Amino acid sequence: MEYIVQQVINALAFGAEYALLALGLAIVFSIMGLVNFAHGEIIAVGGYTMVALGALMIGNPYIVIASAVVAAMFASVMLERFAFRPVRYADPTTGLLTAFGVSMILQNLFLLFVSPRPIAVTSLYFLDWPVNLFGVQVSSLQLFETGATALVIVALMLFLRRTTLGIAMRAAALDFEMVRLVGIRANRVFAVAFLVSGLLAGLACIFIMARRGSVDPHMGFNPVLKAFVACVVGGFGSLPGAVLGGFILGAVEVAMLVLLPQEYGGMKDAFVFGIIALLLIWRPNGILSPRIEKGDKV
Amino acid sequence: MTRGLYGVALISIVLIAIGVATTYFGSRYHLRLVYGAYVNLLVVLGLQVFMGNARITNLSHSAFMGIGAYVAAICVTPETVKAISLPQAPWGLNAFSLDPISSALIAIAITAIIAALIGLIIVRLTAIGATIVSLAVLVIVHSVFLFRTDIFKGNQAFFGIPQVFSLTSIVILSVAVVFIARMFRESKWGVQLRASADDELGAQASGVNIHQVRLIAWILSGILLSIAGIAYAFYLGTISARPFYFNHVFLTLAMLILGGMRTVTGAVLGTLIISFGLESVRWIETGPVVLGIDLPEVLGLSGVVLGAVIVLTMAFRPEGIMGDREVEDLLLKP
Repeated sequence: MEYIVQQVINALAFGAEYALLALGLAIVFSIMGLVNFAHGEIIAVGGYTMVALGALMIGNPYIVIASAVVAAMFASVMLERFAFRPVRYADPTTGLLTAFGVSMILQNLFLLFVSPRPIAVTSLYFLDWPVNLFGVQVSSLQLFETGATALVIVALMLFLRRTTLGIAMRAAALDFEMVRLVGIRANRVFAVAFLVSGLLAGLACIFIMARRGSVDPHMGFNPVLKAFVACVVGGFGSLPGAVLGGFILGAVEVAMLVLLPQEYGGMKDAFVFGIIALLLIWRPNGILSPRIEKGDKV
Repeated sequence: MTRGLYGVALISIVLIAIGVATTYFGSRYHLRLVYGAYVNLLVVLGLQVFMGNARITNLSHSAFMGIGAYVAAICVTPETVKAISLPQAPWGLNAFSLDPISSALIAIAITAIIAALIGLIIVRLTAIGATIVSLAVLVIVHSVFLFRTDIFKGNQAFFGIPQVFSLTSIVILSVAVVFIARMFRESKWGVQLRASADDELGAQASGVNIHQVRLIAWILSGILLSIAGIAYAFYLGTISARPFYFNHVFLTLAMLILGGMRTVTGAVLGTLIISFGLESVRWIETGPVVLGIDLPEVLGLSGVVLGAVIVLTMAFRPEGIMGDREVEDLLLKP
């Protein structure tokens, strides 16, 4: 019984991380149709910020966390301004390939100017301690992660439903031309979308760094690939779909960890993606894909 | 069709000329470089068949190349070598060896079957979904290569593959593949596929079975990629999992995008420009001494350059250098 509860908490924590990342991808995609492959490098920017602070002997956890998040948000907005603006109204393939190129440039810049080897970051280890929750042994990090994701989902919902800008962003996902016609500045909508996306990447960065304790140029790739898969399963462009997809992926992953024999450990991702592929045969457009209605732009 | 043949002939002249020039004037080192460029040309052409005509970004092409290379390598390597390199191979894989032609045919058949199975999922997805799933395919195949060390030797070298191919054979092969890719583009299926990329609903309304034509292109693309992998294995003599992963995906994708993915000419042009351009970047990367100044080593420069090529092409000329024009369109009147 305790074992099952423990695995459920594991699945929730994994799912929370994927949901956090998938939301960051989905919010940008829903507005400008951009598949942001450079999301992983935003995470790496946060990680390298921690390295820089470490080099400056700044160990105050609040400063470390805040600057990593701010750096990720700043990097995200800068990418929008300089890399993605030229392809803003282009078709999704053009945007996707641009993002792919941007991701490649950033990875190689880290490699070129910092180091191709992993650098240890120890300033966030304090976030991780064992907790005894009603007789079940869990890690504090897992609780923080699940809690933070729940908080983010609520905050994002309030923002998207209660503020003018949030409503404009939801409208922009349906018909951007109309949003511009009623006098909302396009630049502001895009900037805020990337700001939120960067914020989510920054938060995810903190949990990823606290767990792995090191940063390297390719660190963002694996989590973001999972987040992409979560988006596809949930329905690309749908925010609830991104969250649902993230938690499904987390559950499948933990199930594989539990069920697969030890010697197949290296094949875990292969099995996870295989199961996801079966889900996609059932719903090729994802589970919660926005329905195309009469009059929508296709 | 006739114009297509004319275009194939023009491209072939260039490809053969480069091959002949290298054979007569190049050193062994140059020969290897040019051979590598031709292998990449086969990959880019294979990529173009699906990605260029269906306009769905595919990121799994290096995986199919790897499958072709490994299957051919396992079939063709003599038992004596495999007894040393793969002592624990299951299913008696180390107890037989075949001649190069049957090995190649088996490799092509197996890749085609795997491509068909994956294609059944890919062709039904929307464009973005297909791209992400193709990325997952790349990761899955790579982890199988790494994990089944008893068959593929993972990151270690799979050695002892007899050298079957020479520069001449790959030049002939590349001319043949240019012909296949171009004829597919101009065929009924190719036209239907391009129409569905331009206007999915319109093509469907005109009676195009989109899933079917996409699947045909996907499988043909897989077959051409396996041929590229076979050519790679049959010349180098050793293969490992690493060359069939991200760096190679980036490289060949940049080639196709720069030249223009919609045309076969674009695929060839992009490959030639980047293959020769990148060699000079690699030379700078190693930190050479220029005019008495010792330049520093800059690892990662070639990656930055490739990324910049993609971003700049997308920003200023999203359809690539050639756009919708094949080579003969530049010379003949429409």
